[in-house]
Amino acid sequence: MKNVRLFFTAILMLLSAAVASAQSQEVSGIVTDASTGDPVPFASVMVKGTMTGVSAGADGSYKIKVASRDEAVLVFSFVGYKTTEIPVDGEIIVDCALEVEAEYLKDVIVVAYGTMTREANTGAVTSIKNEGLAESPALTVDKMLSGKMAGVQITSGSGQPGSTSTIRIRGTSSINAGNEPLWVIDGIPVVPGDMRQLSNAGVGDGSSTTFLNPNDIESITVLKDAAAASVYGSRAANGVIIVTTKTGKQGKARFTARAKYGVQQLINDHNIRPLTGEELIDYRRMAAINAGHNPDDPNDEYYYTSALLADGTTDWYKELTRLGTVQEYEINASGGTEKSSYYSSLSYSRNKGVFYGVDYNRFTARVNADMQLTKTLKTGTRVNFSYGDSDSGQMGDLYYTNPIVAMWNILPWTPMYNEDGTYNDNIQENANTNPRAIAAYDTYNDKEYRAQGTMYLEWKPIPQLSIKTTDAVDGTFMDSRQYWAPETNDGEATLFTIRTKDLRLTTSNTITYADSYAADKHHLRVVLGQEAMTETYDYLYGYSPDVNPQIPYPTTSTAASDQVDYYIAEETLLSFFGIADYNFMNKYFIQGSVRADGSSLFGSDSKWGVFWSVGGSWNISSERWMQPANNWLSILKLRASYGVNGNNNIAAYQAYGVYATREYNGYAGMRPATPSNPNLAWEKNRTWNVGLDFGFFDYRLTGNIDVYNRLTDDMLLDKTVPYTTGFATNFMNVGSIRNRGVEIMLQGDIIRSGDWNWSAGFNIAFNRSKVLDIGDSEFLEVSDSRVSPTSNNAGTPLRIVEGKSLYTFYLRDWYGVNPSTGAGLWWTEDGKLTSDRNKARYVYAGSPEPKATGGFNTEVSWKGLSLSAYFEFITGNKTMETNAYIDDGYNMNINATTVSTANYWQKPGDTGVTPKVVAGNPGSYHVSYSTRFLKKGDYLRIKDITLSYSLPQSVLKKIRMNGIKIYVSALNPYTFHDLNLLDPEVGALGYGMGAAHTMVKSFVGGIEVSF
Amino acid sequence: MKKILYHIMLVPSIVLGLSGCGDFLEREPKLTQSNELTLSNYTGLNDATAGLYSYLQQTGWYGQSWVLDAEMSSGNGVKDNARNSNRLVTSYNWSYSPDNTSGIWSYCYVVCAAANNIIDNLDGKETDEVTTQDLNNLKAECLFMRAFSLFHCVLTYAQPYSYAPESLGVPVVLHTDPEGQPARETVAKVYEQIVTDLLEAESIIDPEYVRAGITDTKAAVNIDVIRAFLSRVYLHMENWQKAADYATLVIGSGNYQMWTAEQYPDVWGQDVAGNGGEVIFEMYGSINNYDNGSWEDISYITDYDGSGDAMVSNDLLALYDQANDIRYTAGFKTTDESNPNGRMWTAKYPGKGQRVPDANNVIILRLSEMHLNRAEAIQNGATINGVTAEDDINIIRTNRGLTAIGSATQTDLRNERRRELAWEGFHQYDLARWNEPLDRTDFTLGSTNQDIPFPNYRWALPIPQRELNVNGNLVQNEGYTNN
Repeated sequence: MKNVRLFFTAILMLLSAAVASAQSQEVSGIVTDASTGDPVPFASVMVKGTMTGVSAGADGSYKIKVASRDEAVLVFSFVGYKTTEIPVDGEIIVDCALEVEAEYLKDVIVVAYGTMTREANTGAVTSIKNEGLAESPALTVDKMLSGKMAGVQITSGSGQPGSTSTIRIRGTSSINAGNEPLWVIDGIPVVPGDMRQLSNAGVGDGSSTTFLNPNDIESITVLKDAAAASVYGSRAANGVIIVTTKTGKQGKARFTARAKYGVQQLINDHNIRPLTGEELIDYRRMAAINAGHNPDDPNDEYYYTSALLADGTTDWYKELTRLGTVQEYEINASGGTEKSSYYSSLSYSRNKGVFYGVDYNRFTARVNADMQLTKTLKTGTRVNFSYGDSDSGQMGDLYYTNPIVAMWNILPWTPMYNEDGTYNDNIQENANTNPRAIAAYDTYNDKEYRAQGTMYLEWKPIPQLSIKTTDAVDGTFMDSRQYWAPETNDGEATLFTIRTKDLRLTTSNTITYADSYAADKHHLRVVLGQEAMTETYDYLYGYSPDVNPQIPYPTTSTAASDQVDYYIAEETLLSFFGIADYNFMNKYFIQGSVRADGSSLFGSDSKWGVFWSVGGSWNISSERWMQPANNWLSILKLRASYGVNGNNNIAAYQAYGVYATREYNGYAGMRPATPSNPNLAWEKNRTWNVGLDFGFFDYRLTGNIDVYNRLTDDMLLDKTVPYTTGFATNFMNVGSIRNRGVEIMLQGDIIRSGDWNWSAGFNIAFNRSKVLDIGDSEFLEVSDSRVSPTSNNAGTPLRIVEGKSLYTFYLRDWYGVNPSTGAGLWWTEDGKLTSDRNKARYVYAGSPEPKATGGFNTEVSWKGLSLSAYFEFITGNKTMETNAYIDDGYNMNINATTVSTANYWQKPGDTGVTPKVVAGNPGSYHVSYSTRFLKKGDYLRIKDITLSYSLPQSVLKKIRMNGIKIYVSALNPYTFHDLNLLDPEVGALGYGMGAAHTMVKSFVGGIEVSF
Repeated sequence: MKKILYHIMLVPSIVLGLSGCGDFLEREPKLTQSNELTLSNYTGLNDATAGLYSYLQQTGWYGQSWVLDAEMSSGNGVKDNARNSNRLVTSYNWSYSPDNTSGIWSYCYVVCAAANNIIDNLDGKETDEVTTQDLNNLKAECLFMRAFSLFHCVLTYAQPYSYAPESLGVPVVLHTDPEGQPARETVAKVYEQIVTDLLEAESIIDPEYVRAGITDTKAAVNIDVIRAFLSRVYLHMENWQKAADYATLVIGSGNYQMWTAEQYPDVWGQDVAGNGGEVIFEMYGSINNYDNGSWEDISYITDYDGSGDAMVSNDLLALYDQANDIRYTAGFKTTDESNPNGRMWTAKYPGKGQRVPDANNVIILRLSEMHLNRAEAIQNGATINGVTAEDDINIIRTNRGLTAIGSATQTDLRNERRRELAWEGFHQYDLARWNEPLDRTDFTLGSTNQDIPFPNYRWALPIPQRELNVNGNLVQNEGYTNN
């Protein structure tokens, strides 16, 4: 906001310099803030009815020449203050106290290729300022936004430090192209994906902003509809998140230091755990007896007596998890002179994970500098470096080495340690793998180096015209290393080395002309621009079996057994665009944008796409006939927009018909690998949006309502083609999906009185998706990057079916437990009940997409003391309890129980129970997915509670500080839900794989000192 | 509207002087090669031709199930009840449906399309180094592979030529059309195309041509391979004289010798067939091949210590002179002694000793088949100077540890063929060719279709439903419901 003031001031300064003046009489004075009495630096002072104007200095003082002191009227204005007119009346000194204007309307928000007042906005845009971010214990920006913006759903399948989030703005619009929004940081679209090779979110999966220090952020704007986003053309379909980082303010250097420390543990608000030794013995004896065995017979394969517990038991849940810690330290400095300003920061954060072997360290450094070179020329840079060092353990893999898998496998009477204190690896039920030994000896490490540098040069030959070039480089380098030590790997040492590189160059060039005419009645802004982007991603992978454990590097492996793999992809994008805004009397606004994007990703016949939008708004409350309502109605504005944008988020080279080498008979022959598709083009989104912004009672209650319809056409699908074409499928633009919904945001200042303030906010978004067309297929299987194509997993339980909402569970239909026999019952195709699972019918059983998402927040403050809380909720979604580990006694080799398992059928008449436990149960009611495990996935999460205290100005002045704040905060302290899961947040597809690092809760305390 | 907008957007591009945007937006894949480049010169065309053979090791074809399905559904194989892997159950029970049928269709047409690409681009690619004969050799290989693929396809999805030549065969695709929805030709038309391709291949290939740069030269086409395959095709067409003539050409080439009983046990796990043995054409199996089947490789599936899904039936074993016939003593292996039911497994795919799971070559054409083809042709009226059916049968018998026989009935000949070519993927198609029913005594699962009469709709497998879904011109075989 402040930098925007500077910007406007700069315009005014230039304006004053540009207009030659012939006046002779001088007036001077000081411009102050009416409420604080502090000077308002750089306020604008104009002589009414002329083009003459000056800008006040940093101390608020000004001097201006007028034609006649007797007649002149001065107009004082500044962003955020009410414009004030004062007649000079012959005085030599005219001071002006400006009154603060209600922030709402004149609030400047960052939008595509510029800024805009909230008043002028025509699209669906949500913006938040940094103020609320800094105290949050989350390390990454994406996690902080969760629940704070209507229609912006942020979920994560993993609570691992530094992991990615899935961000869906107004639902999911694509099946095969990406669904992540475009991230634009300081004007440059960045590479958002996670490139860590060994983390549990795959390459490019989800939005990762781990390289950004949240405290460096000034504001975040989310562009949701076509009018707002379409100027980003082929990348705008999933919405755009615009991040603006901080800049310095004029004045001497101001330092802020922050320190934060806290603890972390796995979320487990239902106290889910495997059965204890005693409980498991009872369970197993019952299962053995039910299977016709004798648990007291030492020769029986199911011989279970309490003698097993004689040597003590181990609580594997407890032994495999630990109390994590979070630490964060940061110092930043900002300041500036009349011609330059700077902001720089350095931060270090360290997260010791809640699982052994999981750690995350991050350094970030930023320098933002701006310099006025000449009166018309300005330049600046935004540079960010980050280094992330992440030990990810084996989280994410559905494998014995992963503690969250192992804790449900290992039997309580299996000890953690051998008698000599070494880790026990005689654990048959877990493939003789002890995750603690894995954590101690093996390495799963990613080191990520990221550098982003942007520079701009802006030339304003006349105040109305700005010609600007912004050029950026964004580079990520990654060293990944996976090492299996001899201690855990049957005496062998195996090494995997992966080097990954992603380089992106962007140039963005704009010409902006903004002017007003006829005494400010007409305002016009036109932007013409051009952009080009080139990106190269590659990796080199090496597998080195049998390295020397003393020298665990590829050099000590025998060359014959080494394997190397390589991948490279390039992408280019060239764009031309234009934006035009016009408003009349600040009452009627129209805006249009058009963009042509050419992309290397698409077919030779369809490289170029044109995207456009139109929007308009009407400030009803400014109409003369609404004057009577002005005492209670502060603002009422109607907005409407329509536009077309695209989704080019697909892998490179899919349009090319290519041959690939295929070794056979000692020769690298060539085979057709993909069919050529010269018509391959973008998915198109057509969106309309109607919105209403309102404010009542001097803006004490504000809010907006948006209704939208978003139609995805030309959706990219793998269309089945006859094999007589030489291929099984061809990637084509066929399908269609619709998302429509309503979003409501409300914010109220309930108490606004001196020492006491109480505010509350609420947002909710309803979204419905519907599949309109998926080509010739009856249904599509949802692809899930977590399901390895080589695994035996039959696929996902989700289908995409025409006429239904995008993701629909397709499952065997469970009825319940037969109270007289304890057997599980299923519905058959003809509506009868059967205990044979294989005869059970399949049904469409609901969607993991929530019907509504949202959040609410409230903050109470008294003087320097403030208590705030954020809540987040989703409702109307279905979630699969795949982590429930219920197998009704089927597998007696592993533990496979939870506390909920203990409630099994025991005698005729038992109801509300799980089926009768039978060792080696042939009924296998648990097997795979079914409606038995599909539950309502609603949850309400207390996202964040923070209590903070800021020292009063009187104390600060004595100790010569600008500010001291201390706070304590809890992240995710409690979640209300009905699932037999550690945590209900299992990712956008509504089911976990039983392998992901589930979410964590944190309790932190911190201090912030500025001087 | 679009067009107008597009023109508007062109203005700034001119203003900014960025005219080279065409090249900027061309980013070709680096790790693969474009169709245009591959098919533009001899090197690419030669590599693409070499690539045609690589499909043979796919699990659904000679990598495993082409051979084993034919054995399981012909009474040579039985399922081991103790192994519930679900492999080979469909072919064993003849429980095919449009959604669960042979995958040969896909391999056949992918190879046809790949071969068509090359054939259509060979013209005029001569250079100073590349002669017309070089290009003709490639063309001969492509024509052979196209004919070879079509033959497998028509055997699978159509009634035998010897029974219903005018019934529906399979589509013939000579030029690949990405939008094409070709209809099925008659069986006779398909065979006509197969013969046309093979005869052209025979006429243009350099008789001395051997593909260069490959490990196993017996896994590529030469003139003997084309002729040996023509013998087989003519046998299916009951063109007895041509079948005998082409067999005679191969036998008389002097390039192949019968394996003796002493050699017989060691010929099956070789890495390379080498010269002087029986192998005319084979699939080269290796764990290094792109399409190696790993745990699905034929060597693993036929190994008792592997997945061991396919056991040898007692019906087959009963046909051998178990004391003297080397094909019994070395062609089958008993399992370890702990195996209670004394079952046997084929020994023809022992693996190359590369690792577990291993890989194995699969012989497709060999000399003894030529003798058997000729014997059958002569018995049906073909004449070859100085050769009788018994001569051919006895060449095989004496090399397998058996005594010569004086006169051979049709049954003698058919049993000899079954014994000799057992577990090489022949018997199901021989039964169909002979219009003989399937009659199984040793049938372990005992569920469905123990015996299949002839004629019966089941001898032609259903066309894959996914093809019917996307090609409106296809018609399903009788007996199978169209979904």
